Amino acid sequence: MTLLHLEGLGKQFGEVWALRDLDFALEEGEVVGLVGPNGAGKTTLFNLISGRIKPTTGSIVFAGQDIRALEPHAICHLGIGRTFQSSRPFPRLTVVQNVLVGRVFGKEVRFRPRADDLETARELLEVVGLGHKVDTPAGYLTPSEQRRLDLARALATRPRLLLLDEVAAGFSPVAIKQAVDLVRRVQERGATLFVIDHFLNLSLRVSNRLLALDQGEKVAEGPPPEVMRNREVIRAYLGLRHEDEND
Amino acid sequence: MWITALVSGIALGSFYSLIAMGFALIFGVTHAFNLAHGELVVLAGYVAYWLWKGWGLSLIFTFPVAVAALLCLCLILQRLFSLLREPLELNSIVMSFGLAILLQNGMLFAFSGDYRLIRAPALTEGIYVNGLSLTYGQLALVVLSLVAIGLLHLLMHHTYLGKALRATIQDREGAALAGINVRIMGLVAFGIGAVCIGLAGPLYGSIHYLYPAAGLQATLIAVTITIFAGVGRIRGLIVGGWLLGLAESAAVILLGSSWRELVSAVILIGLLVFRPRGILGREEG
Amino acid sequence: MERAAPTKIALPGPDRAIPVLLLLGLVLLPFLARSNGYVLQVFTHALLLATLALAWNILGAGGLVSLGHAAFFGVGAYSSGILSLRPGLSPWLTIPVGGLFGAGLAVMVGLLCRRLRGAYFALATLAFVEIPRVVTDNWDGLTRGSLGLVGLPGLPALTLGPWRVEIGSSASASYNLVLSYALVVVFLVALLWRSNLGLALQAAREEETAAKAVGIHVDRYRLLSLILSAFLTGTSGAIYVHLTRYTVPGLVYSLHFSAVPVIFAMCGGRFTILGPALAALVLYPVDQFLFHPLLPAGHEFLYGLFLILVVLFMPGGFWGALRRSP
Repeated sequence: MTLLHLEGLGKQFGEVWALRDLDFALEEGEVVGLVGPNGAGKTTLFNLISGRIKPTTGSIVFAGQDIRALEPHAICHLGIGRTFQSSRPFPRLTVVQNVLVGRVFGKEVRFRPRADDLETARELLEVVGLGHKVDTPAGYLTPSEQRRLDLARALATRPRLLLLDEVAAGFSPVAIKQAVDLVRRVQERGATLFVIDHFLNLSLRVSNRLLALDQGEKVAEGPPPEVMRNREVIRAYLGLRHEDEND
Repeated sequence: MWITALVSGIALGSFYSLIAMGFALIFGVTHAFNLAHGELVVLAGYVAYWLWKGWGLSLIFTFPVAVAALLCLCLILQRLFSLLREPLELNSIVMSFGLAILLQNGMLFAFSGDYRLIRAPALTEGIYVNGLSLTYGQLALVVLSLVAIGLLHLLMHHTYLGKALRATIQDREGAALAGINVRIMGLVAFGIGAVCIGLAGPLYGSIHYLYPAAGLQATLIAVTITIFAGVGRIRGLIVGGWLLGLAESAAVILLGSSWRELVSAVILIGLLVFRPRGILGREEG
Repeated sequence: MERAAPTKIALPGPDRAIPVLLLLGLVLLPFLARSNGYVLQVFTHALLLATLALAWNILGAGGLVSLGHAAFFGVGAYSSGILSLRPGLSPWLTIPVGGLFGAGLAVMVGLLCRRLRGAYFALATLAFVEIPRVVTDNWDGLTRGSLGLVGLPGLPALTLGPWRVEIGSSASASYNLVLSYALVVVFLVALLWRSNLGLALQAAREEETAAKAVGIHVDRYRLLSLILSAFLTGTSGAIYVHLTRYTVPGLVYSLHFSAVPVIFAMCGGRFTILGPALAALVLYPVDQFLFHPLLPAGHEFLYGLFLILVVLFMPGGFWGALRRSP
């Protein structure tokens, strides 16, 4: 079933169109990679979907509901979770508290703590490989650990759709492999994934489909090998010179 | 009656602009809120009072001394502010809040809570024509603040230093990357601010009663006008000052003098809540 | 059944000794200081200021710095005072009502300042005090304006069955009442920070955008914390006014009552539960016993100095630094 449906979606900042006239449908259970060079509009798209900014044109329909006018926390309650390009843990809270926040507030509000909250939080930390740092203040983690914490926290909100923004940026090959496994595990838990991957480390390996943007517009969509061979996509990433060479 | 209100509103407003000038420049360049700004003005006033009362110095000569004293003080303050961590705006507000308390109590200790006034008879004389009264004091206020604004405008728009200051106000990081020594700009801003404060203080002491707790009102006025004018807009300071002065005069006529202090508070809250462009324009998060 | 993990703001573990000893001292004070009414008075006031600091920190630890809490203090004081004079209601009734008036004002402030953050919120609260102050000063018919309220009833006696405890006329009984109130406030504050609401407020303080993204309705919870903080502050104001039995607008709306909670909370430790109270119980008596005699005018400059030093060099406060050991 179509989980997320974008139609004519556009966002204008002053004179500039960060995103223009985007049509796209995301099926439940998919992993879709969002690719494109800097300034293509990828993070803007995530900000629109998660409610951080409001669209100028077009519609965003999630599980049959128009979510354009909703606040970020309400969108989270509906089942869309996200991580951020630069990780944003709660520095003075411990690692487990970070995840607990997601668990407690992610779906419906709970004012009384439940027995399984803490257990679930620990379990999620094991999934992302932070089980050994449960009581460390999040501010003391390394950047890559913070990214994994962000992921665990987002997972704790029990999302149907998870927006991952640059989860593997700057990772070594070993770390990338771990990230790939992680993403597969997340997918097995039943989440649909929309993954921004500027460097293509991850998305080429995990995605069912790719959506390629350039300068705010859709340039290609389809299975990874197809999209990566697309002339427009190559040109966007590598510039005109390469295109000439390919001729 | 309304003409008198108009005149006193403009005169008072000019004085308010002078107070706001120092604050606006310091905040614009360094992004540090100095909540003790009003206390500094009152302190300058007390310095002038002390010179006038204790040493028999006539009012006009107290100005340079007050300015010199404030320059020293402001240089120390600049060092303090530069030690603050992020978030700068909030930390500077809290620290300067402490500074305001410190200065208020210091002045309470040095001068007691009695109301003080520098009596300068020349300032109360003036022109009385057709029911309109304009004292020399009020005239001096208007002239002085217009001159100060004019000089500041000249500095900002026709000198290299001014250009550097404006660049720093618009974009600190960009200015630093362009080779401008942002720290020196901060010092300059504090210096010019000190001059404005040093001029406003003795004036304050001669037209208002000086008492230690008077600083808070002055600070609120400075903040209100600065936010109204917007960052880096010098001319807006005069307009804002006049509007505030007129608003207060109108309030005094319509409601009575005890409601005057409410005017600047309500305007400030209104400005903050309805978010004009200017200082606020920052995207959340 | 395991509760949610305690937050970073928690009652101390190994350094449990200090608060316990302090509590012991406070409880024994009426007996130790029987001959010296002034000491009892000072500590009564210190305890009241401690409740102010604790109440302020409900907002402060959530990331919102208010420089105008005197507004709630004054509104609570005046509403309780007026109701105890005109309809002649018992202070036991009017004191919590004072708290409710404080909470009501907080709703206004909170809705108005909903979009404000950080320094701009602080500025708005600083300006906001003027509104109730000037209104109180001018509404002669209701508040007797700048003449103030005099001859307010003191805290009335407690009658429980056969027992009757005079409170208002007895310094030690008043002290014990304020001590009990302070302990209730500590309990409430601790409850808050260990609850999920407390967790949400801390998360919002740390990273507001991320907090929203995980489902926290930041604006609503902040409004809630403001209302709670104002309720306790207003109640403290009401208690204050029945202790002193008189008030003028310039007193309860003064910068003093806005500044003191800020200073104690920051010096004690904005991210701890007990820090604000501990700072109040140490700094205020030191100020009164040591510095006030030396400098009858201006001894409070010390508060200003401490605040500057804490902001610059010890942002976690003294108690916060003491507890830093992981």
